[in-house]
Amino acid sequence: MLGSILSQYARTLSVAAAFLLIVLVEALGIREAIYPGLEAFFNWMNQSSWLGVIGTTYGSVYATVEAVHLLSMAVLGGTVLATDLRLLGVVFKDVPSETIVTGTHKCFKWALLMAILTGIFCAAGVANKVYFMEVFWIKMLVLLVGSCFMLFIKQPFLTSRPHAEIAPWMMRLLAITSMLTWFTVAATGRWIGFS
Amino acid sequence: MNDSSKWDDKTIAALSTAAIMLGALVYYWIGQGQSTVELLELAYGSFKFFNNPLVF
Repeated sequence: MLGSILSQYARTLSVAAAFLLIVLVEALGIREAIYPGLEAFFNWMNQSSWLGVIGTTYGSVYATVEAVHLLSMAVLGGTVLATDLRLLGVVFKDVPSETIVTGTHKCFKWALLMAILTGIFCAAGVANKVYFMEVFWIKMLVLLVGSCFMLFIKQPFLTSRPHAEIAPWMMRLLAITSMLTWFTVAATGRWIGFS
Repeated sequence: MNDSSKWDDKTIAALSTAAIMLGALVYYWIGQGQSTVELLELAYGSFKFFNNPLVF
């Protein structure tokens, strides 16, 4: 009985467990307990790791990698906008939304991978500064949650059935959540740059 | 669409995650908006949406 429920609602239970974990981490003060210990790691990233040394020594390399990072984010944002505005019925109305959803996802995954890889390099170059920025941690949290949402929740749901079988309000909810999530990632990223 | 397939695992997970995330993000940005208004009030004495806050 329990095994049947666990297997039947594995995804929902995983979401509930992740949410409970976040609440517990905050309620029990685990985040505050871990935070001071991370400073040494961020200082090492900036001053001793080869990523940090290259990033702080060669400005041209840092600028080039940051340009790739911004281009990756632009491609990622483009795929998100194309998909979500189609789900909202704003653009590409003559193309089935199923085609857009499956067609943009591969591009989204590569753009996300490139953005994360180049983002690690960019963060290493200024690791001793971003450690103290609240907005950096907000960005990391939204990036992590948003990536999991896209890869394990939204895409599997949208590809599991014809979109005619999904309630329109559900499609709108997913599209608006997705757009606000990646807007937040982009906005907080620029906020780090201006802090 | 029958009721058993309407509320399956993927649907419930998608609905609950989207609702929690959307609520959290809206809460975050409203908070940022409020703190921006408070900062402007602190800096310039008043903040009006349809007037230039620098003129008071």
